[in-house]
Amino acid sequence: MKSHWADLIILVVVVVVLALLPVLVNNYWLRIATGALMWAGLACSWNMLGGYAGYINFGQSAFFGLGAYTTALLMGDPINLPFFATIPAGIAVTAICAIIIGAPTLRLRGAYFAIATWAFAEALTQFANVMDFTGGIGGLNLPPFLNERFFYFTMSGAAVLTYLVTWALFEHSRFGLKVKALRDHEPAAEAMGINTSLVKLQTFVLSAVTAAVFGAIFAYWVTFINPKSVFGGDITDQMVVMVLLGGLGSLRGPAIGGIGLFVVSRLIWMRWGDTAFYIAILGAAIVLVVLFLPNGIAGLFARRPAKSVTVLDKAAGKLAGTGEGGRN
Amino acid sequence: MNTATTSSPPSQSSDPILTVRDLFRQFGGIKAADGVNLEVGRCEIAGLIGPNGSGKSTLFSLVAGTVKPDSGQIRFDGREIAGMNAHRIARLGLARTFQIPAMFDNMTVTENLLAAAAQGHWHGAKDRAAETLSLLKLDQVAQNRASDLSGGQQKLLEFGRVVMRQASLILLDEVTAGVHPNIRKIILDAIARLRERGISFFIIEHDMEMVRNVCDRIIVMDAGRVVTSGAFEDIVRDSEVMQTYLGRPQ
Amino acid sequence: MDLLLQTLLNGLLIGGVIATFTIGFQLTFGVLHVIDFAVGGWVVLGGYLAYYMTALLKLDGFFAIPVAFLLFGAIGYLIGPILYNVRNSRTARPELMALALTFGLFTLLRGGMLTVWGFNTHTVPTALSGESLAVGPVTVPMIRVAAAVFAIVIAGGLFLFLYRTRYGLAIRATAENRQNAALMGVNIRRLSANVYGLYAGITAMAGVLMAAIFSVNPEIGLRYTLFAFFVAVLAGLGSVGGALVAALMLGVIEAFVSTYVGSSYSLLAIFATLFLVLLVSPRGILRRGL
Repeated sequence: MKSHWADLIILVVVVVVLALLPVLVNNYWLRIATGALMWAGLACSWNMLGGYAGYINFGQSAFFGLGAYTTALLMGDPINLPFFATIPAGIAVTAICAIIIGAPTLRLRGAYFAIATWAFAEALTQFANVMDFTGGIGGLNLPPFLNERFFYFTMSGAAVLTYLVTWALFEHSRFGLKVKALRDHEPAAEAMGINTSLVKLQTFVLSAVTAAVFGAIFAYWVTFINPKSVFGGDITDQMVVMVLLGGLGSLRGPAIGGIGLFVVSRLIWMRWGDTAFYIAILGAAIVLVVLFLPNGIAGLFARRPAKSVTVLDKAAGKLAGTGEGGRN
Repeated sequence: MNTATTSSPPSQSSDPILTVRDLFRQFGGIKAADGVNLEVGRCEIAGLIGPNGSGKSTLFSLVAGTVKPDSGQIRFDGREIAGMNAHRIARLGLARTFQIPAMFDNMTVTENLLAAAAQGHWHGAKDRAAETLSLLKLDQVAQNRASDLSGGQQKLLEFGRVVMRQASLILLDEVTAGVHPNIRKIILDAIARLRERGISFFIIEHDMEMVRNVCDRIIVMDAGRVVTSGAFEDIVRDSEVMQTYLGRPQ
Repeated sequence: MDLLLQTLLNGLLIGGVIATFTIGFQLTFGVLHVIDFAVGGWVVLGGYLAYYMTALLKLDGFFAIPVAFLLFGAIGYLIGPILYNVRNSRTARPELMALALTFGLFTLLRGGMLTVWGFNTHTVPTALSGESLAVGPVTVPMIRVAAAVFAIVIAGGLFLFLYRTRYGLAIRATAENRQNAALMGVNIRRLSANVYGLYAGITAMAGVLMAAIFSVNPEIGLRYTLFAFFVAVLAGLGSVGGALVAALMLGVIEAFVSTYVGSSYSLLAIFATLFLVLLVSPRGILRRGL
């Protein structure tokens, strides 16, 4: 099909650019590129559930952190596993946690799921803060491996794989149709034989596991983690902003938002250092996007801009009870 | 247009596709289903009529599994399905439309049809979607978002999704209410064609003209019970039923 | 034994204050169908208002209570319709967008307050600060007693309003079933503005009390948002009556964990309980949630 060719060309261009980048830029910018790739991948992982299935996860940092801590603990002293052997373990731990949280709460309103994921992430933060084996507030050190190119290529591989899986699974398969159908009208999806609870749970686990893989690479890359740096709420905040800014439920959205916002955050950091002002910017960005750009940046370039009814157009205030179709 | 057949009433058949026995369901104090008993025969087009609030749509939801019954039996195609999850009932070959069109708003018209086939009969789904589009004359809007369609087109699309399910029994909830006569004709023709393929229909309808033209048999509900059933002419002749339960003398 | 009683009493008193803003939180969910992440932000803003009134104007902290209600009630009244519009917009995912909006608002408030006021912790002096009341073998700080009395008045007033007035009936009807309420001629958009205004005002008042009892800093908002969620989940989202019971339970749990295990574990204990309730009985322990 025609659209497949266009996508293939984009893929080839991206891979070529990614392969050439280490030759073109110095280590400093390579580090920034590595970070941008990580955030593009994390944004994509959040978008799997948030964008395609319509369930908002305010605790995605929990899974990022689980991946990071699993790798740190397994590479650490008593066990000393090699890096790549720790990734499957992180995936397993994360998948189990996601099933435990998702199975009961994904059946209910999205609000319960949002609270559950948020509480899980905050609970893990507190847990890691008070436990000995996680190193408490001090955190954990990993065996240092100072090879920027290794991390750049590993991160590139993970990011490209994430987007390929999303492309295949959510944009070009029956599974994607099921996910989008349950997002738009759950009772109707059920009436078509779709086991919505199962499909939601599968999507959630995939989303969580993806974040865990990036967490594992991140831990090895920065060689030092603590509860705030991998479980912190700011990590989830950033993913949410990136996806909303780029465009919910699209393939390009998280890439645009992830890379764009990360580069902006680095520029702010270079100019003003670590500032609380950045948190305010994140918050303001979410509010503004929700109010004025509900389809994100990707929505601006959509083939045929859908009748996007912004909130202010709605000031007339329609009767309630519409827009209620979905879950209860 | 008149698709009623002269064959013996299918409800007499030994093996109806749908049998409902002593079905009860309360919401708060309201008895939405107060001991419903009825049958829909194979290849039959059964019409369900009754005043607003008589429990017609609830009955559909009970049969389709969206609402769980308090007690009673529902047999579909030889299986007991009362209390089963909606998606499992759907997989057994039951399809339904909703009273308010249940669009997948952010998906295209084509994707809406494909989503209906995503569980189960996926093989050849793209060809069947194209077929359905032309059958329902939706080709022009195939790539539009479902939310951009007019109300009548949404009814058509929802009907198209039901067709894509390849079901053996189709429940239609006021599928022609408020749609343009041209669109109604498209739907009626499609129902006739599908029935020839052996599909049974159970239809909630307010339009007596449509009921007369399409249904083999009418079931009348009031206050959560089946009051009577029979051929359209017999029901109409019973003017008491018409006045009491339909409130409009013919 | 005395410590036990002391802890129990302290917990109940704090639970009363928590109840005031969680009842509003539940009402907001019932009417707007949005869980408000910003709840902790309103609590902290109320606290800062009290701090500045005491520090700059040299007024007693209690004067901040009516000011907080009027100021943040007005702000809430303006925000309510925006939330309502987002929740009922025809955009792709209204529920998700509304949730994101309150989350964004909360993040904006937190980041803004950190930027302007920094990470420092402030206290709010009142006429009752430092006084204490002896009840048999236990003594409790006078300010906590006053706060609890105030909370009872507010909660009682809310319940009277909800169950004894026409407008309260409209609110409850809307919380129960919006479609029916709309059919009955309730203007849900205007109702949303009023309810959100009322809730934001009450929450800011609770913030004044919390700041007077403990202290205030921008990061503490997260804790109050957690409190509201905890109560909402325990009571079942949208259940107003359950919120009162759940808030008292929360106060007691918090007090006991802080006293007997250590205050660094209190958040963990709350999260863990919240989590277990979600797993075991997701619609609240009373199974009354929406």
